[in-house]
Amino acid sequence: METRIRSIFLSLLLLGTSGVLMAQENGSQTGVQSVIQPDLKRRDINESGIDTENVEVGLFVGVISIEDFSSDTLLAAKVAYHINEDFFVEVNYGQAEAGQTSFEILSGGAPFLTDDERQYRYYNLSLGYNLNGEVFLTDTMAFNSSTYFTVGAGSTDFGGDERFTVTLGAGYRLLLTDYFAVHVGVKDHIFNSDIIGEEKTTHNIEYGLGATFFF
Amino acid sequence: MDVMGKWLALLGLIMWVGMVEAEAEEAFPEVQIVEPFIDMRTGPAEGYPVFYVAQKGEWVAVLKRRTNWFKIRTVKGKEGWVSLDDFTQTMSSSGQPVVVDDGSFEQFAQRSFEFGGSGGVLESVPSVTVFAAWVITENISTELSYSQALGDFSENRFALLSVTHTAFPEWRVSPYIRLGMGQIQTKPRANLVQSGEETRTNDLLAAGIGVRYYLAQNIVLRLEYQNLLALTERDENEELEEWKLGFAVFF
Repeated sequence: METRIRSIFLSLLLLGTSGVLMAQENGSQTGVQSVIQPDLKRRDINESGIDTENVEVGLFVGVISIEDFSSDTLLAAKVAYHINEDFFVEVNYGQAEAGQTSFEILSGGAPFLTDDERQYRYYNLSLGYNLNGEVFLTDTMAFNSSTYFTVGAGSTDFGGDERFTVTLGAGYRLLLTDYFAVHVGVKDHIFNSDIIGEEKTTHNIEYGLGATFFF
Repeated sequence: MDVMGKWLALLGLIMWVGMVEAEAEEAFPEVQIVEPFIDMRTGPAEGYPVFYVAQKGEWVAVLKRRTNWFKIRTVKGKEGWVSLDDFTQTMSSSGQPVVVDDGSFEQFAQRSFEFGGSGGVLESVPSVTVFAAWVITENISTELSYSQALGDFSENRFALLSVTHTAFPEWRVSPYIRLGMGQIQTKPRANLVQSGEETRTNDLLAAGIGVRYYLAQNIVLRLEYQNLLALTERDENEELEEWKLGFAVFF
């Protein structure tokens, strides 16, 4: 008796589960059929369709301390090409107008340089290295940033001559959007000069704020 | 302060134009993920953390590229950066694997332009050069360069139009020769002008030999020796030697 009840129970259970399984299978089949095939047109990908932003262009405003002369407002421009996430190359151009040497001011005598010779202009070609990072302004707001170092060579036109110049720099780039960044940077322009008589190596340090766009 | 104000106003205007442009609805190309998942990072570099993974079968919009990173947007609106290696494992709408420029050596062979700079020594005086080259065939390219060499006594500037020939373009380290012509300007130092020296401009001929080396993604290094002949109006022509080491990026 007991065995019979058990077998009936088991066969019922078997029937029940298979029924459920079948129902599930049916369900999944009808599920697939009931989905409306969306008539989507995907935009196909090709190289020219992707906006490539490897070139950075911007302006800087700062102060440059011209050795033996005074510190003056500097206006500079830069164009950088980002080779990969770590390295970039850049071309910088800047100009400032040098003030007077302490000697000129104290003696009240004739000026060392003409107005044209007082124009301080430089250009350089630099290689830069990025240390990429992120800044958390608030709990939910984060900006990408990078600290970078540059080494470059170029020329400085000052005091009637152009001089070979080595440039060492460090800066900080804060990307407010993917394509707009603000910078703060320091650079040392090193060149030999004989403007005040004897030939010597001069260090001309600039610092400034800048804004750049990525194209 | 007035200058500063104008500068700020200009900056504001540029930003505003930028924002307006960004708001305009753009149609971005789309790709489908075929790998089980791809990592999306918060920034375009390996060091940035992975904050989201897009799953197999998802369609994502490609917003932009910076160096070898691609910014994508998922259907749910998540935006993040995907590496080139991951990106090339996605599929286009036509069912083809996505192919993009990766700056590889294969692509180097198909380049059409090169830009670069170099530093060197011209007759024991430091020199700086910038150049742009147009690659005509895989063996021959034509190049325009501008150099400046700044010495204690004079300053030389010269521009050259030259043709280079590479016999073995398929080698990673490949020798090349150069023939060029241009002009050289020699300007004496300001303190020597009083002694009667003056600025001279002469025609210039150049012959060079060098080696170029495909370093990595988009970068080529070059080491070159160049012999320059300035055709002066004096009895003897002036011969100059230059060594330089430089880099180029190609497109």
